[in-house]
Amino acid sequence: MNASLYAGGHAYNIFAERPGFFPVSGADLYTVLHEVKDPVARVLLVGPFTLERHTSYRAWVQWARYLAARRIEVLRYDYRGVGESTGIFEDMTFESWIDDVERLAGWLRKRGEDVPLLLHGLEMGGLLAAKTFHHGGSDALLLWSAPGDANEVLRSTLQRWMGPMQLLKREEERRPASHYFRLLEEGRSVEVQGYEWSAELWRQSLSVDLPAAMVPPNDPTKFYKKPVRMVKLGKNATPLVKGGVPGFEENKDFSFLFDPNYDWIVSSLGVPAERS
Amino acid sequence: MISDKVETRQLITLGADGVLVRGTYHEVPGEAQDGSHPRSKNIGVVFLNPLSTPRTLIGDSGVDWASSFAAQGYPSVRFDLPGLGDSYGEVAKDLVTFINEAGFAAIAASKVREFTQTFGLPGAVIYGHCAGAVTAVYAAAKCKECKGLIITDPYFNAANMLTPKLSPGMVDWARRSKVGEVLRAVYVRIREARKKQGNGTLPGNANVSLVTHWKKLVSSGLPILVFKSGEPAALGSGKLRAGSFDYLEHIASFGGHRSQLSIKTIEGTNHSFADRVGRAAIREHAEAWLNKHFPTAQTAAVLANLGFSTPMTDANIATRAPAPVSRGE
Repeated sequence: MNASLYAGGHAYNIFAERPGFFPVSGADLYTVLHEVKDPVARVLLVGPFTLERHTSYRAWVQWARYLAARRIEVLRYDYRGVGESTGIFEDMTFESWIDDVERLAGWLRKRGEDVPLLLHGLEMGGLLAAKTFHHGGSDALLLWSAPGDANEVLRSTLQRWMGPMQLLKREEERRPASHYFRLLEEGRSVEVQGYEWSAELWRQSLSVDLPAAMVPPNDPTKFYKKPVRMVKLGKNATPLVKGGVPGFEENKDFSFLFDPNYDWIVSSLGVPAERS
Repeated sequence: MISDKVETRQLITLGADGVLVRGTYHEVPGEAQDGSHPRSKNIGVVFLNPLSTPRTLIGDSGVDWASSFAAQGYPSVRFDLPGLGDSYGEVAKDLVTFINEAGFAAIAASKVREFTQTFGLPGAVIYGHCAGAVTAVYAAAKCKECKGLIITDPYFNAANMLTPKLSPGMVDWARRSKVGEVLRAVYVRIREARKKQGNGTLPGNANVSLVTHWKKLVSSGLPILVFKSGEPAALGSGKLRAGSFDYLEHIASFGGHRSQLSIKTIEGTNHSFADRVGRAAIREHAEAWLNKHFPTAQTAAVLANLGFSTPMTDANIATRAPAPVSRGE
């Protein structure tokens, strides 16, 4: 079952995918290591938040396989309290999510050969990756559609979720998204597609933002003296970003996105590129 | 440091037929696999992906239900079909049509069989939501190990009804926007109402093969539990709703005396059943249904002491398996 679905001719060994549970304080994180023999680099993928985890999952896994097929070892995982990871979502904090990224990055760095470590965050994962990078957790940083702060993600997620929910309700029971924002601000929890958002999570989200050095017009590469790339994904990148149509985009060709980002990774880290 | 097992969950790979699929097994608490406790002889529950949603299901509701069913004595597994979630493989360009035409049926049936053999179970109930329900119905007809179905919000029509009539831009808008979602539903109902000719004739856009498989399973006596979410209030409750074709009623009418089809409508939840109301309702009703049709050894012993006969046991379980149905009938 060596295949080259994601590799443009590169061999890919599906038996080298190692799912497991990574113990952290109070929870076990679901991880999948895309193990590579003699890797040229390692990447920790920090994925998007709750609803987007589900819609972007296949494309995110495709990216992991694409990189692994080119001798870049990849670790991806689920936030604690989300997906296959254990933990109760309503008890979660950004602090624990950032701590998890730091622990996983530390584990991945020490796996073997001394090769560069890149953090790659998507959407909310971009913020978590940026925080870890800011504290020296990796050699390079790649962000796809990272928001200015975590509250942006919560607001857009809730707005997107409330739309269809309104259709299920009688007119007199319908409330605008601002109603739910107010509930959270008043200290009440709100359920969003099966996840119980606590008022504390909402409060914290207001202060979890991109490090100032990454906010334009600042130049993060100059500030950190390490490679940093920030990409705003367009609508053509669904379902990696909000707005995908389940059932019609699973087979999408992401080479327009994967190829240039792979080229940036190998060139900025100064590692050899794998050409088919 | 990294383990494949935590609490009662174990990460598994099923690949005996040459196709690797990744899954999460929820064991019955207290049934350690080191031989110190016997493995469960109760029936298992297998969860399938709804469309391309990973095996956790929306809002991770699948994790809750599988854990809960296992805690009640029914070992459960959630696996990703090839190409979905963590399982490797190509995915069809039009996944909906692929599923509607039983594209996943053979592999799902094979994995249900492998699951029951690997864990020494007498059979399994397949849990399918929405598009997963389509695969569950086709797969049930292909494997004797399937002893029952739990289905949530099934659909019965073929896909791509709007495509031939509208411009690509309009189709794209109708698929992406929420207003489009309502308009699609209204359009479908008007179309169905027009095409309805009375006397149980199927609407023109029906997935006839799927409906045929449903009828055969129902008339075979396979226990089937169907959950429906309430209708969107925005669609109203007037003529449009009255005009929609009731496939389940149509199928039930063909059931005959052996039919064990149960239908429950859960009001106050949504299509995913992932909210508090939906989760609790599914857990409560599905567990009661499992206990009724597939009592655990403990439940059976209690019932026997009280003088009740059990509706299904390991001894008679095979006699209730549905007759195999070939694809395309």
